[in-house]
Amino acid sequence: MSTLTLAPKPAGGTASRPVPWRNMAWVTWRLHRATLISVPAVLGAIAIFLWIAGVRIHHDYSLLAACHPLSADRCQSLNSSFNHTDWPTGNTLDILIHLVPPLIGAFAGCSLLARELETGTYRYAWTQGFGRARWTIAKLVIVAITVTAAAAAFSELFSWFLRPFFAPQEDLTLLSATVFDVQPVAFAAWTLLAFTAGALTGMFFRRVVPAMAVTLGVYIGLDVITWVFLRQHYLPPVVTSGPVAFNSGAMSANMPWVLSTWTSGRITFTKYIPVSRFWPMQFIEAGWLLVLSILLAAATVWLVRRRAA
Amino acid sequence: MNVIDTSGLGKQYGGTWALRDCTVAIPAGSLTALVGPNGAGKTTLIQMLTGLTIPSAGTVTVLGDQRAGSAAALDGIAFVAQDAPVYKNLSAADMLHLTRNLNRFFDQQYALARLGDLGISAKKKSGKLSGGQQAQLALTLALARRPKLLILDEPLAMLDPLARHDFMAIVLTAMVDDGVSVLLSSHALPELERVADQMVLLSHGHVALAGPVEDLLACHRVLTGPAAEADSYAARLDVVLARRAEAQAQLLVRTGEPGASGASGASVAPGWRAHSVSLEELVMAYLRAPGAEVLSASFPARSARSARQEVSR
Amino acid sequence: MTIDKRLNGSRGGAAIEFRIDQGSGVPTYLQLVHQVEHALRLGYLEPGDRLPTIREVVASLAINPNTVLKAYRELETKGLATARPGQGTFVSATLNQVALPELATLRRTLVAWLATAQTAGLDEDGMVALFTSVLRDFVKSPGRDRSEEIA
Repeated sequence: MSTLTLAPKPAGGTASRPVPWRNMAWVTWRLHRATLISVPAVLGAIAIFLWIAGVRIHHDYSLLAACHPLSADRCQSLNSSFNHTDWPTGNTLDILIHLVPPLIGAFAGCSLLARELETGTYRYAWTQGFGRARWTIAKLVIVAITVTAAAAAFSELFSWFLRPFFAPQEDLTLLSATVFDVQPVAFAAWTLLAFTAGALTGMFFRRVVPAMAVTLGVYIGLDVITWVFLRQHYLPPVVTSGPVAFNSGAMSANMPWVLSTWTSGRITFTKYIPVSRFWPMQFIEAGWLLVLSILLAAATVWLVRRRAA
Repeated sequence: MNVIDTSGLGKQYGGTWALRDCTVAIPAGSLTALVGPNGAGKTTLIQMLTGLTIPSAGTVTVLGDQRAGSAAALDGIAFVAQDAPVYKNLSAADMLHLTRNLNRFFDQQYALARLGDLGISAKKKSGKLSGGQQAQLALTLALARRPKLLILDEPLAMLDPLARHDFMAIVLTAMVDDGVSVLLSSHALPELERVADQMVLLSHGHVALAGPVEDLLACHRVLTGPAAEADSYAARLDVVLARRAEAQAQLLVRTGEPGASGASGASVAPGWRAHSVSLEELVMAYLRAPGAEVLSASFPARSARSARQEVSR
Repeated sequence: MTIDKRLNGSRGGAAIEFRIDQGSGVPTYLQLVHQVEHALRLGYLEPGDRLPTIREVVASLAINPNTVLKAYRELETKGLATARPGQGTFVSATLNQVALPELATLRRTLVAWLATAQTAGLDEDGMVALFTSVLRDFVKSPGRDRSEEIA
């Protein structure tokens, strides 16, 4: 049999310093290579498709916008073809893209911890010198940053894609429920939320599939609550008795979000949120989503430390 | 230094206690066999020692005075869980890299040389290795960390007899080279007698026997003699397990101190013969006799008689 | 026990190798002690010969190192071996060796005794029991013939 002798262990000094954090970079990469590659890859593939479709749509729209007068037959037929082909494409994609944050976030998040618990490898991972709390934190941070950054980049492209659809005659505005949360800042924040929620449910349920189901359910619930109730309360709305001010122009997304109108006497009041509030609202939404994500991540780490395996 | 010290240690899941009132002290430099049937609490105890599970009751300290699960404990204890958990889609080389990154110290050269000796390909995915090779890989990773305490949970199950011998030879030579202490949970009783110098026997979530193997064997005897006299004779003795046939009875008795009333000793009644006991025999007897009181290494004075269990053949 | 007697005895590798009889009921460390004594008696070990290191024994037999340690300490207590730190354990004394012709004579008389016992009707276990009993008494008070006292 082997005659190997263990070389004498170097004395003492290793006892003081903990294992450095940077070691987890390779560990996370190697263990989650599939996630860290596939998420950007899938987003990249969709992005290519968006680019190709988007170029066409932008071209179609610029033709339409340059067509004068609008009532001419030629311009009307451009308009109708835009409405019948480009518009449905954009609409469908918009709805589908809404699935990206929950699916990607939940997939990346749930498989972060649940798989280790399912396969039993946590018995190896949590008994190494690095310590399970730090191990969890490192994994969460590295994968969260990667997934969120990929989502942010992707949503920049998508928001370019959507721009032709904000013509004044349409009902769509930057503040619309279907548009607001796919804009870059909010989109990234929602992806991060889905990720941390997925990590927590994965750790709680210890099985990937139930965790994903619960994560998706919670995400959808939160999304609905936000656009039905929360979003309009981020900043105080404006009440005016005059005509609602907005810029008109060919390609603008400047329609305000009208909350309600009422009449008192002969004056009609309108309560609305002006489009100038868009960016502050984006950051407010991203802000509370970020805080919530951090809380979920902290809860995940706490659960890792506390849970009897 | 005691490498494992527990006091009243227990773990409750829901309403049931998987382990209760476990008090053991295991000295450094020993190889301790942890035996007992499935469900007796072995894995629960091991999980509390490695910090994977938090106790419901009692305390556990490892490596002298370290809290189980603390950074120092994680550093000094290497654990190979049952079924040798390695990441199935990682190669052996990747597992080495992983273990090196996750620990303060890792003897890369030793690990590579051992893998070479064992003929384990460094590039193949771990999941494609045989069960025995995975066990050897897991052991290599553990030993290369140069732990003070090595905990092995049923490591021999996947190994053929030759591989078992080689596996234990590696573990035992690490004890010589490095002063590693070992806790080995296993069902392979005959092998344990050869390799273990301490034993903890768990039964139904309790410690039934604990202490140096030599002392435990020395203070038990099997007495064989006429069945007719068995009851009256047994009443005078501390019987762990009694078996009787038509004409003959066997009593496995506890003599109370190591070495007392030896096999040829005067205290054996006429017509009765005394034999020494093997580890396997002793363990099996205690497992069949759940009422037997705990016999621990410090041999405390026992006031009550242990319950006797009659097993008819 | 395999014998590997080197011509230049005390240098080089260990002189003997051990084996363990798992089922014999004899504690492992005692088996090692007996094997060393046996080798000494038969002349396979001489003073100055190196016994296998603890590591060598453990690596080849896969037994607990404390067992080997205990065996070697027992040999030291009996005065048969000495541990030299860093070098190993070496034989330091001999046991009375019986010369080979005497051994042959003893063997012959023993065979004759066994034949007589068999004729008298003793089986193997009976012979062992009788021999063990007489040996015990002999060791307690050597030289006294107690055959009249034993009924």
